Amino acid sequence: MTLAASDLSKSYGQTRAVDGVSVVLRPGMVHAIVGENGAGKSTTLRMLAGAERPDSGVMTLDEASYAPPSVIGAAALGVSLVYQEITINRSLTVAENIFIDRLRQFAGPIGLIDRRRMEAAAQTILERISAQISVSADTGRLNLGELKCIEIARALSTNPKILLLDESTAYLDHREVQAVLRVISELKGQGMTVAFVSHHLDEVLAVADELTILKDGQYVGTYRTTEIEPNEIHRRMVGRELARSIYPPRPRDTGKPVVFEACDVAVGRELGGVSLNVHAGEILGLAGLKGAGAEALFAAICGDLPLRGGSMKLAGGSYAPSSPTSAWGQGVAYLPGDRHNEGLIADFSILDNLVMARPPHHGPFFHRTAAIAIAGDLIAQIGIKTHSVDASCRSLSGGNLQKVVIGKCLAVQPRLLLLNNPTRGVDIGARTEIYRIVRQKAAQGLAVILSSEDMPELIGMSDRLLVLRQGQITHRIETAADATEHDIIGHMA
Amino acid sequence: METNETSSATKTPNATGEPGVNASRFEVVKRGFPLAMLVLLIVIFSIASPRFLTFSNLLIVLQQGTVLLVAALGMTFVIMAGSIDLSVGSIVALAALATALTADSLGAAAIIPAIAVGAVAGLVNGVLLAKGKVPSFIATMGAMVVYRGIVLLFTRGAPVSIEDEQFLDVYTNRTLGIPHSVIIGLVLMVIAYGIINRTVFGREVRAIGGGERVAILTGIQVARVKVYMYVLLGALCGIAGLLQGARAMAATAQLGEGLELDVIAAVVVGGTPLTGGVGSVVGTMLGVLIITLLSNGMNMAGVDPYLQNIVKGTVLVCAVFVTIDRKKIGIIK
Repeated sequence: MTLAASDLSKSYGQTRAVDGVSVVLRPGMVHAIVGENGAGKSTTLRMLAGAERPDSGVMTLDEASYAPPSVIGAAALGVSLVYQEITINRSLTVAENIFIDRLRQFAGPIGLIDRRRMEAAAQTILERISAQISVSADTGRLNLGELKCIEIARALSTNPKILLLDESTAYLDHREVQAVLRVISELKGQGMTVAFVSHHLDEVLAVADELTILKDGQYVGTYRTTEIEPNEIHRRMVGRELARSIYPPRPRDTGKPVVFEACDVAVGRELGGVSLNVHAGEILGLAGLKGAGAEALFAAICGDLPLRGGSMKLAGGSYAPSSPTSAWGQGVAYLPGDRHNEGLIADFSILDNLVMARPPHHGPFFHRTAAIAIAGDLIAQIGIKTHSVDASCRSLSGGNLQKVVIGKCLAVQPRLLLLNNPTRGVDIGARTEIYRIVRQKAAQGLAVILSSEDMPELIGMSDRLLVLRQGQITHRIETAADATEHDIIGHMA
Repeated sequence: METNETSSATKTPNATGEPGVNASRFEVVKRGFPLAMLVLLIVIFSIASPRFLTFSNLLIVLQQGTVLLVAALGMTFVIMAGSIDLSVGSIVALAALATALTADSLGAAAIIPAIAVGAVAGLVNGVLLAKGKVPSFIATMGAMVVYRGIVLLFTRGAPVSIEDEQFLDVYTNRTLGIPHSVIIGLVLMVIAYGIINRTVFGREVRAIGGGERVAILTGIQVARVKVYMYVLLGALCGIAGLLQGARAMAATAQLGEGLELDVIAAVVVGGTPLTGGVGSVVGTMLGVLIITLLSNGMNMAGVDPYLQNIVKGTVLVCAVFVTIDRKKIGIIK
C-alpha cells in the first residue's frame, strides 16, 4: 500500500504547526521524518495516523481518498500508530496490554476471557518482532525498550500494512534504541511499510531508506538516505551551516581546587563503592546504561537518598546532606532527568520556576522586584525565548523548558551542578545554547557532573569521563576529547 | 490563580493576537463565575423574598458566614497544596470547648487557649501526614473522629455554657453596627491574602500543590511547610470555634458537625481546585458567601427544608463543572 499526503496543513490557534507538507510512504520502505523540535514532525505523522485532522491537504491510500476519522479508523484501513509516550498500563499483563481495546474478541461463551488464546495470539506477534518478552511478564519490571516493543506489538495486532512510529526513541537509552531499531529492520524484512519520527540522525541513517526533512512546519525535501550526507541533513534541518562542532571549546587549565569528592560512596542497591572527584571549572562526564548508578549517585549528592556507605566532601569540608534542602543550601544544584515530573512545574510562570529554589525575600515576604531582576537576568543569559517573565511554562517548547530548569539551578549560584541528561528531547538549537551556558559557567569556576545517554554529548562536553557499569566505575578516561564512542560503550555493557 | 491575579489581569489583554485567545476568554468566564453566581443568587432571592435584601438579613448572613470563612481561609492553603483536612469541624468543636471552659476565668483572653488547642490539633495532623506519610484524607478522617470523641468524652454530651460578660461583649457586640466577629473575619482574610500572595511560605505551599516532587528536588522543605500549613489551619479553626461558641453562648458536642463539607465546598466553589497549585482567598470568600446565602436565601424564600440539600449539592457540582480546568488534570478520579 502506498500512503501519499500532499500539501497538508494544520494550525493550532494562530500557530501553524504544519504548513504544506507532502510525504509519500512507498510499500516496503522505511521512511524517516526528521527536523528540529517544533518542525511539525509529530503533527504530520499524527495526521497520517488519523490522530489529528488536517486543516487542508489531500491524503490517498493506494489512490483512494484517505481521511481517517480517528486512530481506530486508520487502523481499520491498515495504518497503525505507535504513540510517542509509553501508554502501557503497568497493572496489566503484556498480553492484556497488546489487546487492551479488543479484549472482547477473546471472550468465551459466557463472556470470560480465554487467557490461553489471548496469550498465544500475543506470543505470535512478539515473535514476529523477535522480542524476547514473555507474554505473562509483569509489565512493572520491564524496561522502557521492552515497553516500546509491546507498544509496537499492540500496533501490529491490528495487522497493519503501514506502521507509524512517533519519536519512539526519545526516552530510550542506547541499548533500548538498538532494540527498537532491530524491530524496525525486522519488520522491513517482512515487507512492512514503516514511517518514523526522530531527533537522532544516527538511527535514521541506520534503518531508513528515505527521509523527509521538515523545518518550522514546512516541507524541505525528501531524499534517499544513501544520497545525502549527515552534515547536509543537519544543514537543511537547521537551515544554516552548523559550526564544526556544537560543543564549545574546552579551556586548558588544570590545578584548580577540588570542589566535590566522593569516597567509596554506596547508595541503595544501585551504586556500590564509587570514588570520584570534580574540580572547579571542570565538567566530569558519567557514562552508563540506565540503572548503572549515575542516578543513584546524583540522588545521594542532592540529598534525596541516604548513603549506604562511604563519605562525601564539598569544598574541603565534610558533606552529608540530609535532604535536598540542605544540598541546595550548600550550593549543590540538581537538574533531574525527568523535566516534567521533577524539573519544573509547567503550570507555573517562568519567574515562579526560576526563583523556586531560593526566592528573594524581605523577612517572610517575597521580594517580587528582586525576583523579576533575577529572572530577567537569567532569561537574557541563557537565551530563554519568551515575551514575559510571567508567561506560563506551558507555552514553552521542550528546549526552552529545559533552559528554565537550568536557569533555576544557576539562580542559586551553585558551586556544584549535577546535570542528568540535560538535553533529552531538546532540539539542536537549544542544545547548543545549553552547552554554551554550561561551559561558560564552568569557566567561571563551577564544577559540573554530567550524566548522559547521549555519547557525542558526553565526549563533546566532558573534560574527564567515568564509565559506570552495575554500580561500579569500570573505566576512567582522563581526556574525554580523545575518547571514542566504541571505547565507552565497550565498558558500559 | 490568585498569586497571579495582578499579572494575569495584565496578561489577558496582551494575549490578543497569540494562540489561545479564545481559551483565555474562557478563562475570564471561569474566573468570573463565582462572582456571577453570587450576583445571580442575590437577584433570585431578592425577587423571591422581600426580606432577603435587607441590612439586617445581610448582617445575619455575614455573621453566619464568618465561622465558615475563618476555617475556609486555612483550608485554602491546605487544598492549594493538594492536601485535604476533614477534621476542621471537630477542631472547631474542640476549640469551642476550650473557649467555654476558660472564658469565665480568662474573659476575652480565652482566645489564647482556643488558638492553642486548634494549633496543637493541626500540628498533630500535620506531623502525622508530613512525617508519618499517612495520606491526608485518611489521617484527618481519623483525626475528625478522635477530636470529636475528645469533645464527647469531656462534655459527656452536655453543653458547656459561656456566661462571662466581658468575653461575650468583645466577641458578640457591634461597633458602628458591624458585629465584631465579622471584623475579625475580615482582618483574618486580609492576613491570609497577604500570606498567600506576598510571602515565601505562600509560594512554597503553591509549589507543593503544583508539583510535590519538583518542590522536594528544588530544596523546598516540603514536610515543614506542610506542618506549618496544618498548624495555620488548626489555629484558624481555633478562632472559628471561639466565634461559634460565642454566638451560641455555649460549646456543645455537636458544634461544627459537618462543617468540613461546607468548608471544602466553599473553597472549591470559590475556584481553588482540589488538585492543588492554585488558590484564591477572594475566591474562597465568594465561595463562603455563596454557600451561606444559599441556605439563608432558601430559608427566606420558604424553600422546603427537605429540598434544600438537593439544591446545595447541585450548585456545588455545577460550580465545579464550570470552573475546573480539565487540561491540567487530564484524568479525573
